[in-house]
Amino acid sequence: MKFLDRLGQELLFFDGAMGTMLQSQGLKAGEMPELWNLTHKEIILDIHKSYLDAGCNIVKANTFGINPFKMDHCEELTEKGIELAKQAVAETGKEAFTALDIGSLGRLLSPMGDLPFEEAYEAFKPICIAGERAGADLCLIETMNDTYEIKAAVLAAKENTSLPILVTMVCDENGKLLTGADMEAVTAMLEGLKVHAIGLNCGFGPDKMKDLLVQLRKICSLPLVVNPNAGLPQVINGKTCYHVEPQEFATVMKEIALEGISVMGGCCGTTPAHIKALVDTCKGIAPLKVTDKNRSVVSSYTHAVVLDQHPKIIGERINPTGKSRFKQALRDNDLEYIYREALVQQEKGAQILDVNVGLPEIDEREMMKKVITGLQGITDLPLQIDTSDIECMETALRLYNGKPLLNSVNGKQESMDAIFPLAAKYGGMVVCLTLDENGIPETAEGRIRIAERMIKEAAKYGISQKDLLIDTLTMAISTGQDHAKITLEALHYVRHVLGVHTTLGVSNISFGLPQREKVTTAFFTMALANGLSAGIVNPNSASIMAAYHAFCTLNGSDIQCADYIRLYSQQTEEHKSEKSSKEEPSLCESVIKGLTQSAYEAAKKELKTRQPLSIIDQDLIPALDQVGQGFENKTLFLPQLLMSAEAAKAGFSAIKEHLQSQGTISESKGTIVIATVKGDIHDIGKNIVKVLLENYGFYVIDLGKDVPAEKIVQAVKENHVKLVGLSALMTTTVVNMKETIQMLKKEAPECRIMVGGAVLTQNYADMIGADFYSGDAMGSVRYANELFSQNIK
Amino acid sequence: MMEGNNRKMDKKEALRYLGCHGAKPDAQTEFLLEEAAVEIERVYVPKSIYREYRCSVNEEKNLIMIDELHISSKSLVRNLQGCERVVVLAATIGPCVDRMIKKYSVTNLAKAAVVQAVGASYIESYVNEIEEEIKKEACSRGLALRPRFSPGYGDFALEYQKALFAMLECSKRIGITLTAGNLMIPSKSVTALIGLTQERK
Repeated sequence: MKFLDRLGQELLFFDGAMGTMLQSQGLKAGEMPELWNLTHKEIILDIHKSYLDAGCNIVKANTFGINPFKMDHCEELTEKGIELAKQAVAETGKEAFTALDIGSLGRLLSPMGDLPFEEAYEAFKPICIAGERAGADLCLIETMNDTYEIKAAVLAAKENTSLPILVTMVCDENGKLLTGADMEAVTAMLEGLKVHAIGLNCGFGPDKMKDLLVQLRKICSLPLVVNPNAGLPQVINGKTCYHVEPQEFATVMKEIALEGISVMGGCCGTTPAHIKALVDTCKGIAPLKVTDKNRSVVSSYTHAVVLDQHPKIIGERINPTGKSRFKQALRDNDLEYIYREALVQQEKGAQILDVNVGLPEIDEREMMKKVITGLQGITDLPLQIDTSDIECMETALRLYNGKPLLNSVNGKQESMDAIFPLAAKYGGMVVCLTLDENGIPETAEGRIRIAERMIKEAAKYGISQKDLLIDTLTMAISTGQDHAKITLEALHYVRHVLGVHTTLGVSNISFGLPQREKVTTAFFTMALANGLSAGIVNPNSASIMAAYHAFCTLNGSDIQCADYIRLYSQQTEEHKSEKSSKEEPSLCESVIKGLTQSAYEAAKKELKTRQPLSIIDQDLIPALDQVGQGFENKTLFLPQLLMSAEAAKAGFSAIKEHLQSQGTISESKGTIVIATVKGDIHDIGKNIVKVLLENYGFYVIDLGKDVPAEKIVQAVKENHVKLVGLSALMTTTVVNMKETIQMLKKEAPECRIMVGGAVLTQNYADMIGADFYSGDAMGSVRYANELFSQNIK
Repeated sequence: MMEGNNRKMDKKEALRYLGCHGAKPDAQTEFLLEEAAVEIERVYVPKSIYREYRCSVNEEKNLIMIDELHISSKSLVRNLQGCERVVVLAATIGPCVDRMIKKYSVTNLAKAAVVQAVGASYIESYVNEIEEEIKKEACSRGLALRPRFSPGYGDFALEYQKALFAMLECSKRIGITLTAGNLMIPSKSVTALIGLTQERK
């Protein structure tokens, strides 16, 4: 029988530890166990056999640590590992499966780490292919603690082999992965990716795993796997030991088995004796039937958002439609602007963020790649990927760390043929627009019929209706009196009769009307009352959010009105204190005191009566100079300098907006490229320099951190840049700074180079050929000002 | 492996990281420091792991042998001179502080700089605490501790991070990983060697 025919039908047994056994056979600390597939074949073979004799049904091949970042000949080692496991099965005559065992690469993926997602995928790929080629029956991805790496490994196995995939993770006692993801988030993502079983391994002993597995079973619709250690590791004389004895191990495992686990075995410290006791004690226990928990859920790299009785807010602001400032940000590659939009919406209470970065004049795919990756470094909200470009959608789905929302598919056959396969492959909930080849039906019945058709079509791809989010389409009320009624009737039917979750782009309703917020808010409340599961709205609108929170208290989903009270009891107090405060500070004062909001307001006020240039020259720059001097004289601290810099930035952005609205663009004093050099991942110093330079009117191209010399040279040449700022924080990366300088001097000899960073000194800077060294951020401003005023060529 | 709990911020240390030597911070900076400490304490997850090994120090060859690991470093030889045992230690306060820094770099750079500094002071005091624990235990065996020594100090190359990580299984047990350039992520992490010696210091 094939593995999948038995999985979930009967209790299956993994073997125990390989590493522990090898150490007892003389494997040295730090030596790679997988090399023994070539040098100590007999020992590996014997270990497999002893586990098979103990009664396991699945042998984990000795391939766990195979990793192209640590060793050569990965494919050969993988094949040899599988062959030895299969040979052991054949020689013992047992009926058992061989698992290709895949472990972590030991590198963290970007944006938090430095390994790009696709490189992780490429690292796993040849191992998966070699494993299947050598005859593995399944693929076990284990001891994982990062959802992003798991996704890379799962995709590598899924796209390049037809092996069943099991994933087990190592978590802490609170049930969180070491990267912070909770079990709901991991489960959502892995169910979406359609792996065949998930579970826990390593970390600690069976006793601590029991409770976690009970919780996991409540939310997981897949068979569960458990491979615990023989207790917590203890170190005696530099050697790691495990103290749970075989029978004790088996007794707790039996309790776990009765909770409905489908596959069990052992990890570190377990031996053939543990597995024998386990099999003897648990054999014959039938796993409980695996049931569909019927949860509609999306997830980020930390947590899941469940669509249920409590409606959800999807923030609509990351979208250029009708927003000239946002369009400008996309054209300028100003990702920070987009990130700020994300964080503001999160602060205002959005639970999911819609992400649309399409603009005809930019490469949407490239932009989506950057934004999806970048957003996952700064917000932990699940994302809704909003694009009509299929390739762009797939790019984003690959790079997404979790289970996303896809926005959107519609009832046109062409659209369903393109989107449903993507949703099926990568997992995700799908927004379904109720329109088709004939346009948008003008009746509720028409939209419902399309919804029904889409539900059926999705089922063909194995997408169940719990993963659909039907949008019955908001049409402007100004263009038809019954538009709201039709939308809401259809919405009500979909939610309450078809039992499928619903969404709407709420704001459309008020298009063409004055004071739109009033109409939008009323419609939003009506939609919520008719069964709206998740509204795509502007969370920055206080009235929308008030309607939302009030609704949640009324429909009973805000337990004991806790959210409502927390949010609104404080607000009245704030209003009072605002009123009692004295008159507003001037622009100059705002900058010196580091008051961002009031700097923005003050600048706006000044713009009514004064020319932008005079505001810059007479208010902003003198204020900055004063703060800068205070910093250089050590009468004030870095945080104050930065607060002032941020306040000035807000003032400048008010001016920029003003100029833009008049169709002019603010002129820059010059263009400067800055970067943290290759190998270095510290960027806060560089970010500080950037803000200050921008405040003093320079256009800064920020290449980020860990930037190879070639990329810096390329940016300098392409933009004819006269000044480069390089940062390095580690003695070890100063070498890369030197190389970058050498390459710049050769390829762009007219360009000046300034350097900074904790370990640098004037001496060091001279030695590596820099033109200028600055011990602090203000120094770089002074140098740039001098350089560009001399107009050095 | 142990997990720590509540501890207070070392404000002096945090100010030092901000480049404010000795001077009294202004009210705004004070406020940011407090705020950062509260936020960090809400999310940080200190974890550490350490193991004791036999070691031998060869002064002529500038070589230290710890189990199977051979380290060539003059500065480390000087540090471990006369030690027969060494504790290899790794500690982190988790990835949340890095995420906060990233987030604040976008919305509030002053706060980002302060979180960076306060985070650094937290890992520092956490490691001090673990060292205290090691010291107590060593004391009971009549052993004293040498100052802790990390890869990157003197000529103790960062390259050795790889081997230390393998010995302690850092990535699996406490969630620290290395970049291609052998830097640690989460950035608020420490690895160190602490020599144990019979001599009274």
